[in-house]
Amino acid sequence: MDKIQLIDTLPNVFVNRENIVSGIWNQKVTFEREKLYLVEANSGTGKSSLCSFIYGYRHDYQGQILFDGEDISKYSVAKWTDIRQHHFSLLWQELRMFPELTAWENVEIKNKLTNHQSKEQILEWFEMLGITDKLNAKMGRMSFGQQQRVALIRALCQPFDFLFVDEPISHLDDTNAAIMGQIMTTEAKKQGAGIIATSIGKHIELPYDQVFNL
Amino acid sequence: MNLVWKLLRQHISIPQFVGFFFANLVGVVIILLGVQFYKDYQAIDQEDSFMKADYMIVNKKIGALSGLSGTQHTFTAADIADLKESGFVEKIGAFTPSSFNVKARFDVEGFVSFSTEMFFESVPDEFVDVKSEAWAYHKGSNEIPIILPKNYLDLYNFGYAQGKGLPKLSEGILGAMKLKIIIEGNGQNDEFEGRIVGFSSRLNTILVPASFMRWANGQYASQEGEKEPTRLIMEVANPTDERITSYLQEHDYETDEEKLEASKTTFVLRVIVSIVMIVGIVISILSFYILMLSVFLLVQKNSSKLENLLLIGYSPARVSFPYQALTVGLNVLVLILAVIIMLVIRSVYLDMFENFFPDFEAPGVLLALCVGLGLLVLVSIFNVIAVYNKVMSIWNRKE
Repeated sequence: MDKIQLIDTLPNVFVNRENIVSGIWNQKVTFEREKLYLVEANSGTGKSSLCSFIYGYRHDYQGQILFDGEDISKYSVAKWTDIRQHHFSLLWQELRMFPELTAWENVEIKNKLTNHQSKEQILEWFEMLGITDKLNAKMGRMSFGQQQRVALIRALCQPFDFLFVDEPISHLDDTNAAIMGQIMTTEAKKQGAGIIATSIGKHIELPYDQVFNL
Repeated sequence: MNLVWKLLRQHISIPQFVGFFFANLVGVVIILLGVQFYKDYQAIDQEDSFMKADYMIVNKKIGALSGLSGTQHTFTAADIADLKESGFVEKIGAFTPSSFNVKARFDVEGFVSFSTEMFFESVPDEFVDVKSEAWAYHKGSNEIPIILPKNYLDLYNFGYAQGKGLPKLSEGILGAMKLKIIIEGNGQNDEFEGRIVGFSSRLNTILVPASFMRWANGQYASQEGEKEPTRLIMEVANPTDERITSYLQEHDYETDEEKLEASKTTFVLRVIVSIVMIVGIVISILSFYILMLSVFLLVQKNSSKLENLLLIGYSPARVSFPYQALTVGLNVLVLILAVIIMLVIRSVYLDMFENFFPDFEAPGVLLALCVGLGLLVLVSIFNVIAVYNKVMSIWNRKE
């Protein structure tokens, strides 16, 4: 997948709202590989909706979303499964981790599906993010900031053309945020992938190619 | 898959699944046992496998006077025609008696030797269900196929042999022996060999093929002209038909009540087995319902986990698999256990059957196994589809 296009896309809930001033909704927007995007938003402007539309688990929008010129509203279950395994990785704002499993198992459950990263690589990331001691801790017992870091590692355990990170550093200090930014960009570069990051204030300092105001 | 199972087994309610397991076990055992018992019972009931199922034999009542006159208890052509018109008769045939003298000798070497006067009768071949070769008489051959009444064997086994301390004979042994038949009449005296093709507990006569009877009556009968039959054999659609009893009473005819009763017993048994099996099926359906509810509840309780698995790239089929395997596995376990229980119970009643009926040969359990497997496949397909649909409803975020 090389290109994500949004053509006059608008969440259904916004249809009756007047004077929508947005860099994304009701516009023609294109995201390309190998580029860095930042989507800045105030809360309630539909940031999570944007994630869910592009990731194919909500379809309550008007207009079109195209992957490489193909309208995604017609995609089959198998196609979405393929996209989620091989083309598109998402780091949710709400993380969507499994509290019953340990940090390691949370990563492993994804990596077993894709067989993408080596154990050494994963352990190295745990080390870099300073959570090696939490490897065998139950996810439910960890702080949100720690969980965020595990969630990033899980998001990197698959091949992707685009990495979508939704408020990835909301609970991180600047040092850890910088490490996270570095890991993300390194991995994206390795795969020639694009990164779309969102924030409602605090954002990772990266050399963004384009910044949108949602 | 391990981690997925570790996740999805959360909230599994053991009591619910145990409840399902035993309820379904009871249901399946009842169904299998019903099928098997009916099959086993049929094996007892089908002693006369060479006679078609629903036939009856009728004769006129022999009163004190008519017995002496000697003619009134025969059926006239008009009587037969009337019976044909009665509506409950499918096919009708007359017994043809032999018009010559028959003597039979039976030797069991070193043991015993019988000699007796007897008689032959024949019915049209269509009422005898023996393969044509075994039941054919070839002109010029001195071998005659014979069907004997079961009573003869019982008389020997339980009366004569018992009293004299002689060995009991099974149908198989007797069937392999030859009977010496001497036919006299019309100034001739010939010897034949009788080959016993079977024993009948329903036909109280000594039956030979119609072709032999035609030939022998022509050859040895002292007087010309066919006698009118004293007994008729008829095939009826339904032996429990009320019209049969009333017709017979009206015309002063008799039939072998036992046969009528046996047919009624079989009919009632069939109804009882059907009811029992319906109960089994209802229990199975209800237990299936319990299983589906448990699984749906499980899916519901684990819906956020399932949703997250789908979102991180697991396909609905892969996410459905653990629950599908769980339900199908339980079904298989139930079937295996049910078959074992069925076989154990069966061995108990088979012992009883064998005591009562020495010639009883237990039929196979293939049919019951097929029914069990069929149920398993059907229910499992339902389970698999239902679980998948439930997972798809999470995919589609309809919950």
